[in-house]
Amino acid sequence: MGNSARDKSLLSKMDRRTFIKVSGAVGVVAAAGGIEGILLSRTPPAYAQGVRLHWVRWVDFIPEADVELKRQATEASIDLGANVQLETINGNDIQARITSAIQSGSGADIFMMMYNWPQLYQNALVDMSDIANAVVKDQGDFYGIYRPSMDINGKWMAMPHSIVGNAIAYRKSWFKEVGFTQFPKTFDELHKATIALKKKGRPYGQTLGHTFGDAPTWTYPLTWAYGGAETDPAGKKVVLASKGTRDAVSFMRAFYKDSCDEGGLAWDDTDNNRAFHAGQICGTLNGASIYIVAKRQKDKIRDDNGNPMYLDIDHALLPAGPAGEQQLYLSMSHAVMKYSKNQKLAKDFILWLHKKENFRRWLVVSDGYNVGANTAWENDPMWQTIDEPLKLFRTAARTTRIFGYAGPSTAKATEVFSKYIITDMYAKAVQGMNPEDAVRWAETQLKGIYEA
Amino acid sequence: MDHEFADQVGSVAGVEAALPRPHVERPWSLMYLLDNERFLAVVLLAPALLLLGAFIAYPFVMGIWLSLSDTSVGNLGHFVGLQNFVRAWDDSIFRTAFKNTFIYTFWATLFKLALGMWLAVLLNRHFRANRIIRAVVLLPFIVPTVLSTFAWKWMFDPTFSVLNWLLFRVGIIADKLPFLSNGTWAMGCAIVVNIWRGMPFYAISFLAGLQTINPDLHEAASLDGANGWQRFWYLTWPLLKPLTVVVVVFSIIQTFSDFQLIYVLTGGGPANSTHLLATYAYQVGVAAGLLGQGAAISLFMFPVLFIVVWIQLRYVRRLEGV
Amino acid sequence: MVEQQWRKWAYCYIPLALFVIGLIFPFYWMLITAIRPDSELYRAWRAVNNAPFWTFHPTVAHVEDLMAKTMFPQWLWNTFFIAIASTIISLFCGLLAGYALARLHFPMVGTLGTAIFVTYLVPPTLLFIPLANIIRDFQLGDTPWALVLTYPTFMIPFCTWLLMGYFKTIPRELEECARIDGATRFGAMLRIIFPVAVPGILSAGIFAFTLSWNEFLYALVFLASPERKTVSVGVVSELIRGDIYFWGQLMAGALLGSVPIAFIYSFFVDYYVTGLTGSIKG
Repeated sequence: MGNSARDKSLLSKMDRRTFIKVSGAVGVVAAAGGIEGILLSRTPPAYAQGVRLHWVRWVDFIPEADVELKRQATEASIDLGANVQLETINGNDIQARITSAIQSGSGADIFMMMYNWPQLYQNALVDMSDIANAVVKDQGDFYGIYRPSMDINGKWMAMPHSIVGNAIAYRKSWFKEVGFTQFPKTFDELHKATIALKKKGRPYGQTLGHTFGDAPTWTYPLTWAYGGAETDPAGKKVVLASKGTRDAVSFMRAFYKDSCDEGGLAWDDTDNNRAFHAGQICGTLNGASIYIVAKRQKDKIRDDNGNPMYLDIDHALLPAGPAGEQQLYLSMSHAVMKYSKNQKLAKDFILWLHKKENFRRWLVVSDGYNVGANTAWENDPMWQTIDEPLKLFRTAARTTRIFGYAGPSTAKATEVFSKYIITDMYAKAVQGMNPEDAVRWAETQLKGIYEA
Repeated sequence: MDHEFADQVGSVAGVEAALPRPHVERPWSLMYLLDNERFLAVVLLAPALLLLGAFIAYPFVMGIWLSLSDTSVGNLGHFVGLQNFVRAWDDSIFRTAFKNTFIYTFWATLFKLALGMWLAVLLNRHFRANRIIRAVVLLPFIVPTVLSTFAWKWMFDPTFSVLNWLLFRVGIIADKLPFLSNGTWAMGCAIVVNIWRGMPFYAISFLAGLQTINPDLHEAASLDGANGWQRFWYLTWPLLKPLTVVVVVFSIIQTFSDFQLIYVLTGGGPANSTHLLATYAYQVGVAAGLLGQGAAISLFMFPVLFIVVWIQLRYVRRLEGV
Repeated sequence: MVEQQWRKWAYCYIPLALFVIGLIFPFYWMLITAIRPDSELYRAWRAVNNAPFWTFHPTVAHVEDLMAKTMFPQWLWNTFFIAIASTIISLFCGLLAGYALARLHFPMVGTLGTAIFVTYLVPPTLLFIPLANIIRDFQLGDTPWALVLTYPTFMIPFCTWLLMGYFKTIPRELEECARIDGATRFGAMLRIIFPVAVPGILSAGIFAFTLSWNEFLYALVFLASPERKTVSVGVVSELIRGDIYFWGQLMAGALLGSVPIAFIYSFFVDYYVTGLTGSIKG
């Protein structure tokens, strides 16, 4: 598959004609770009003989990225002589589909995986080591977060794809008004700054609800930044109830009352975006989507002076606690299901997806919301031309941990995560529970899972 | 065979003219068989039993097996007895969800009953817009739950709530109400949405019942000096009891196992204060992949519902039987 | 006379108006949201220019987007087809079973009646995993038939119960006469009893249809292709794209997915009411 561009297009044309002759139908309508693009690519192909490869991903927070992927699916269909169909569903619903697919032994061929789901579903996934190693050879090593998430007994059970970084999006001018030309570097400084801001009616925004994105990406790193951890490095003993965790919880309790929008307990992953765009909060931890959407809708999203808001938005990494600066990012991968009848085709497709030119196109369209799974993508020229506030995301993935720290990130860690135990620990404290009691409650829950 | 059938049917149509035909004429005809009560019963019940058997009984049994095993996604389970049930009971989140389910069901049902009855009494009059109002009143019940709950979610949204706006403008509040961000409030809001959605069903059902009550009875009662409330309590209410039981039983079953509303409105938060058994079972079974435990949590609903239903059915039988 | 009028207003019209407002208010709000231009949609509740109850620039752009750019019409059709098909199946089963349980004498009549009712108690959150296996075994995955066959599981018990009650109110004399005149049991059932039960059938049908229209979990899990989705699943997955809720289209979808049904119902409401009336007498 190393044709030059011109040959490739000729080849494609020829393939297309033959393809049509053979199967007698037209492929998926090429996306036109923009929102209409996604929504227009709806004609179901009707191949008489083509093999269908069903690929399921979440609905991307950057709509244009999905448009690009659908376009790539069409192109891949032609290149591979099959019918690649991308289905995007709400991120919250993916696990229901995966579960019923695995249990019933039939469903999509490729599922997108988040965090350490490959650990959870490992017995139903196909070994992707050959693909992973090929891509490593081509593009360099993966980020450190991937091994604990999906390397099981030396085998890659899923193919790392990308990482959604998060950082604090904040209003530069407002922070400047309270004396912070640079974003606060520690949690205590952030507390100070935001107390002043809340007094001006511009609180900080953080969700403590049952969300899979914005809540854990704050609560886990906050715990780590104060020295807390879920288990010991062996992953057997629960060590949550430490001074570090208690300090973190006490901090959060004070921080919430003094500085945060108290509606945050009810927020899901989208509420902080909307609150920010409505000028209700001064800052919030999020992916790059707040900035990107503000820029793309600069006529609709404006600040109090009538100027486009995106000009006033900048990003900063999570502040540091006594134990340093920590992050939890949303790492994504693709897994091929064992029950699939098209495993080879699926693997070929994923290899195709990771070809430098294809992957790059998707990455560029994501505009910094995603970073590539391989560290080498940091050096891609796109980062030079990307907007200043987004540059921070380039190296974001370097210092991340995954839940289950300090032990390996096994299915038990997923259980803790999916029961929102860590997040609820903070939510309970914020709602009035004594930090001691909140931590003890969380520890009991963890013990029930790890040491039962 | 068809001949005979046509004959017999023909005889029904010409009932007055035909002479009675003894059944013994063609002993082994299909009609004879179908005349046999037992055979007919089997034939009539077969479709329902087959469908329910295939799509409920069998999965139900599998569900029970799941709950007695340590199955997780993609992994074969082994029999572990009642371990999942014990474990669930020890789990404080489970106990919270269990308690929440009762609170949710109790308050929602109570209000749906009271408000539904009141609305039915109001609708049980003749006025011009009757038909339109009855159809309009059904709307909350018809609109897909997911969509209406989203609308409510946005009405309660901390940043954009139209309810906050309204109350603020009218001067009742000075700062926004914590609709979904406070545990107790969130449960209250969920109950309100459930009432909003379910009340029309109660109202229309009671309306049907009210129309069977002979208006002369009401005349007689008011002539005897009973006022509106007394007439209702001593006359209407007792007559409606059988209907009430049926409606309440079905409603309790639906509300107790409610999933969609909470899932969309709060996801069980904040801090598990609105988790119900169904949403928690889903979270454990699907998000954490622990199918055995999820099944066990779901099954806790079953005996409770069974007892509730049994009590009410006995009550009905007492009313009927005596 | 004045006193009478006052009473009427206080006890009747005002409470009625309050009920109607309370029930319909969210729909009014949905309507306004559906015709409100995007630029006005996201204003904080305390913002000075926030006017949630009216808009001076109504737009049909959202409805257009919904109908033309998503597969909403397809979803509407899918949901409708599945609802009608599963309702017909449920009514068929429920009718026959209801008659058998109400009228015929045979061993275990009580037990079977209870058994049918008990299946209603099994929660879908438990069933959907084992059901996924069955759907696969019958190769019904990603077809509307997966739903057409599984929805009756929660519709049949209610239909059976309702119709059973209804049949009990029909005087036995009707059948006795027919049989004396030579009709078979089966014939009498078909020709005499069922026509009389039409209101009950309609009311059970309406309720069953609504249950099907509303269902979400099975539709989410058993359907995959966008063109096969139902309104609930399709709207949620297509119009909630990550961060962005397309509120205008979402609310337009909610309205279009319910108001036409309500309109159709309005013609049947009288039947629905008489149907329940009949079933309750028994």
